[in-house]
Amino acid sequence: MAEQKQTKQKRPIIDMDIHERVTYDELLPYLDNPWQRYIKDTNWVQEKHLPYPILGAAGLDRADAQVPDGRPAGNDLSFLQQQLLDDVGHEAGILTGAGDPSPSSMNGWYEMAVALATAYNDWQIENWLEKDDRLYGSVHVAAQDPASAVREIERVGSHPKMVQVLLPIDDRPWGDPYYHPIFEAAERHNLIIGMHHQEPPNYYGKFPRYFVEWHSVMPNTHMIQVSSMIFNGVFEKYPNLKLAMIEAGFTYIPAFMKKMDQQYKVLRHEVPWVKRMPSDIVKDHVRVTTQPVDELTRDEFLKFIDLMGSDEIVCFSTDYPHWDYDSPFRALPPLGEDLEKKIFAENARKLYPKLPERKVTQ
Amino acid sequence: MKEVVCKKEELSPGNIMSAHVGPIPIVLCRTPDGEFYAFTNKCVHQGAPMSEGVLCGAPAPTDTPGEYHYEKEGEVLRCPWHGIEFDIKNEGRMIVDSNRKLGNFNVSFEGDDVVVSTKK
Repeated sequence: MAEQKQTKQKRPIIDMDIHERVTYDELLPYLDNPWQRYIKDTNWVQEKHLPYPILGAAGLDRADAQVPDGRPAGNDLSFLQQQLLDDVGHEAGILTGAGDPSPSSMNGWYEMAVALATAYNDWQIENWLEKDDRLYGSVHVAAQDPASAVREIERVGSHPKMVQVLLPIDDRPWGDPYYHPIFEAAERHNLIIGMHHQEPPNYYGKFPRYFVEWHSVMPNTHMIQVSSMIFNGVFEKYPNLKLAMIEAGFTYIPAFMKKMDQQYKVLRHEVPWVKRMPSDIVKDHVRVTTQPVDELTRDEFLKFIDLMGSDEIVCFSTDYPHWDYDSPFRALPPLGEDLEKKIFAENARKLYPKLPERKVTQ
Repeated sequence: MKEVVCKKEELSPGNIMSAHVGPIPIVLCRTPDGEFYAFTNKCVHQGAPMSEGVLCGAPAPTDTPGEYHYEKEGEVLRCPWHGIEFDIKNEGRMIVDSNRKLGNFNVSFEGDDVVVSTKK
């Protein structure tokens, strides 16, 4: 479409953040009663907290991503294929769901959260994962009830195209031992943990006054989650577990690595179960997505990578079809063939054990 | 380069459309007062098609936090992706950074024909 005409260049891309969208009507067939009836009879919807509009040109979504028949963006596979996958040359895309807020963010009624997560996973498998070989999925769980979350991972986690357990970034840091059974189950099924920014965005669920503030401080909430998992010893306890931090960009990472290392040098005695420098744990276990990327020159971009001490942490994502979508052709400056290969595909391929080897093309 | 891109009545005030001048994709805008403006159909940020965006207004800059004064109705072209605002009556300049602007074209008329040409 329009974007392809601007450039003939295609490159192998593994896109770590694509939002498919469900409507409640579509979920009903995957729900038993009384859940169906609660939704239909009372027009129940999940609680939504944002106190402001999302101020893109068309709200949450790209203005040009609405399905031509009027359905919301991300709701139709063939349109998504046409506008995103075929054009850009995606080798693989990871679906990060549109349960918004996530079942794990529900303040109460965990029973409904469990039912919704289960229905969503079945809907996702049937309508997306089994209809396009490029698409891979996220297991949605109701993490407030870790036993149910583990059951759900056991139920669908071995599906060949489920590659991660998706947890929202919310008002509870995930390093808490309460959640460790989820990590144990994920590791056992060769799934990584994906975390995507959610709402409420700030610790203890408070909102800044303006959307622009929230969108500027998303890295803060990612830092809270990463430090929680590192200092609570999650990666010592589950040495094969990997964490993908989705949708806060990457520029905060170098400063955060330095900060955690310095704190660890002086405060290690509080967390003696942590046996490596936090920056080394990040290098081994944590990956972050480019989107929403800042406008950077090539030199600026390369300085950030250099300060991280690794070119394997940053992975590409578009966040299609949301308003702050990043173009695979235009979002990043030219970085040279080797680094571009890593960021656009190979870092993600190494991250997800269930992604296939690179397809051999001529 | 010069091309008839449409008839005047094909674009009503307050609307935008995509067109071409030679091989160049453009966005043609018509303000509520009936004026025509033409720009390259590509956002200067990440290249989104501007003709899929919206023609709207914008709150005026103010010295008072909490104060909103909406102005320029139909004169601000907002990118369909990141919502960047371009002032079409000010050469398509970005409102937040007037050093950056959309590519500009001349618009003239031959009878009812709208003619767009590249600037010298």
